Amino acid sequence: MSVRWQTIVALMLASLLAGCGGDTSKARFAENSALAKQLLPKARKAVQKTLDDHFGSPLDSVAWLKLPVNYGKAEGTVKTVDGQKLSVEFNAEASDLESLTSPELTRAGLLFTSGSNAGKQVLLAKFDSKNSTFETLPGLESAPSSGDQFVAAGHFLRHGRKLYARHCQHCHGVSGDGDGTTAKYLNPRPRDYRLGVFKFTSTASFPAPIKATRDDLKRVIALGIPGTYMPSFVPMLKENELTAVIEYVRWLAMRGEIEKGLVTELKGEYSKDRSKDDGIDKSLETYLSETYPNFVNEIAGEVGEKWSGAEEEGTPIIPKKPRPQDTAESRHRGKELFLGNKAKCVNCHGPTGRGNGPMTEDFQKNPDTNETYAERGLYDTWGQPIKPRDLTRGIYRGGRRPIDIYRRIYAGIKGTPMPGNSQALSEDEIWDLVNYALSVPYDSQAPKSPKPHSVAEHSMDHGHAN
Amino acid sequence: MRKFWCLFFMFWPIAAIVYSAMSPAYGWWFPGASVTELGQRIDNLFYLILIIITVVFIGTQVALGYALWKAAHNKDEKSHFSHGSHNLEVIWSVAPAVILLFLALYQMDVWRDFRVKAYFPEGTIESPIAEVTARQFEWRIRYPAPGKKLQLKPQPDDLYAVNDLHAPIGRAVMIQLRSEDVQHAFFLPHLRIKQDAIPGQVIPIWFKAEKKGLFELLCAELCGWGHYKMRAQLTAEREVDFQDYLKKLQADQNYDGFPASDSVAKKEE
Repeated sequence: MSVRWQTIVALMLASLLAGCGGDTSKARFAENSALAKQLLPKARKAVQKTLDDHFGSPLDSVAWLKLPVNYGKAEGTVKTVDGQKLSVEFNAEASDLESLTSPELTRAGLLFTSGSNAGKQVLLAKFDSKNSTFETLPGLESAPSSGDQFVAAGHFLRHGRKLYARHCQHCHGVSGDGDGTTAKYLNPRPRDYRLGVFKFTSTASFPAPIKATRDDLKRVIALGIPGTYMPSFVPMLKENELTAVIEYVRWLAMRGEIEKGLVTELKGEYSKDRSKDDGIDKSLETYLSETYPNFVNEIAGEVGEKWSGAEEEGTPIIPKKPRPQDTAESRHRGKELFLGNKAKCVNCHGPTGRGNGPMTEDFQKNPDTNETYAERGLYDTWGQPIKPRDLTRGIYRGGRRPIDIYRRIYAGIKGTPMPGNSQALSEDEIWDLVNYALSVPYDSQAPKSPKPHSVAEHSMDHGHAN
Repeated sequence: MRKFWCLFFMFWPIAAIVYSAMSPAYGWWFPGASVTELGQRIDNLFYLILIIITVVFIGTQVALGYALWKAAHNKDEKSHFSHGSHNLEVIWSVAPAVILLFLALYQMDVWRDFRVKAYFPEGTIESPIAEVTARQFEWRIRYPAPGKKLQLKPQPDDLYAVNDLHAPIGRAVMIQLRSEDVQHAFFLPHLRIKQDAIPGQVIPIWFKAEKKGLFELLCAELCGWGHYKMRAQLTAEREVDFQDYLKKLQADQNYDGFPASDSVAKKEE
């Protein structure tokens, strides 16, 4: 009896001490294995190493200054210097300093902005937030002197990571792959950020799609996406928390895109099926030591440019004319466009806007691979089946303001078969479509159409009879 | 050893009373005085029940302590088994029944004022200020356009918000509560309002906030893994500010890329 009790108590104590977390110190971002498995093992390792070097792991992330991410920065002044030990004073707000204890900060280091080391960066061996002292790694030519000013970066990344882990990760996944633990219960699936594509943006898609702006992401987090499982996170998250989460999500998206870019580049020469080629190892080695480092910088630059391009002034689509009056005539013109061959809305959204157009019943081709999908219906860029919106329900995922609908029609929905119409339609035509689309849920209350016997009207009535 | 058990059993009720007495000072109590008058009446019911159970609790614990203490000194008598007393059984069945019956009757007018539609303050039922729809995991709110009445079905000029309920102070207002998916509970702790939202039902709730402020609006029914995310807020504000808020919401919702004054659509009707 007593032995059994002792065993039970000992086991309980042991489990208490061990906790249930396991070893989290080795947490890593998941590899995009669907892509990476096509590579030679050595090339695959090289990509992983690049990502580890420039992004780190979830608990020890690296602020890669090449990317247009606001990692958060705190300015400070050196007070006293004792060898590698610097005692410093921050002139940031206390709330910003809260998260300055981060290992991220240690890895990002300090950038001197004045004194003999101006413009130079130094990595830190230790940071003691209580006493505001740094221990720097050797690397500076001349010792900093008291009064030198510096910038420390990285606390948004840490703060964002924590918030992301608490609120987003269980659906969107540690690496932003949209494959968190609760993801499999959701339809539609949570967004996989790693393509760098976000659906509901205010930016153009022609000639080349522009990334989502910070404000676009903020709108989605603040308002949620009705009709999906994405809820609103405001007022739970405060303004500075939103900023941190948004930067973290952008950072994850850039990480995923860079991973994809690297794999795509290496796949050309060093794919798995070439493992038996003569001298492939040697060639890979030469490539990795000579060309690859430059390529990494190049692709990071490219990805970064796209994201910073979205933040340029004037990026959000603003029509040149305000919305015209929502008259029966305008709606009618919109309806004719909707049903007509110019805008082709009817092909997917169906004659009554129920989202059951002929395209949804047909076999579609994957625009990237040119292969026909095995099942009928439409697919998005992530390979998931997708349904055209049922316009009669009055649920607008990207927002219900006229400007939102205008942008949906003008630029399409990125990553989906909904195309941009900025080239096909004039502004007036888009506004007519907006007026029509917004009237569909309240069709029975709509003002009577001036031409009740038109073909369009006829098919409408038919739809109602059903 | 006998005294030890006596002291042991007396320690816990005393600790419980000390803890309860200390609670208000440490904020482990109601979240401040109720913002509504009805909430104060609900608080009074709570206090009445608290007084009754405090008296019963202290009485029974003192009796227990007395019996233990006395028995600890009594080494002569032996305990004897009894099958109970009919009279005692009747007393301790009837006494609680009387107390419960009293509470059931006493609280009726508060309940009536809170729940029975026929007794809702004038003007609330005719023009609810908003429809609040709970869904996993947020509160979606639909207001009628300024000057219009809320309809059961969405109207083209309805105004939408999420997690951000506004209500005027100083007058009784009603909202319509719905749920889109599972059971949720609409909980305004500062107003002492808690009402389950049930899929398929439209449940009216009225309140009259007497004080301006931001108050938490929570879900009080474990509704799924994201239950904690259902943290919204109620902004209780002056009537003018409430009307301004609706106008601002309307302007936001009609935003077409141009300031409101430039737009043609806004001059509609």
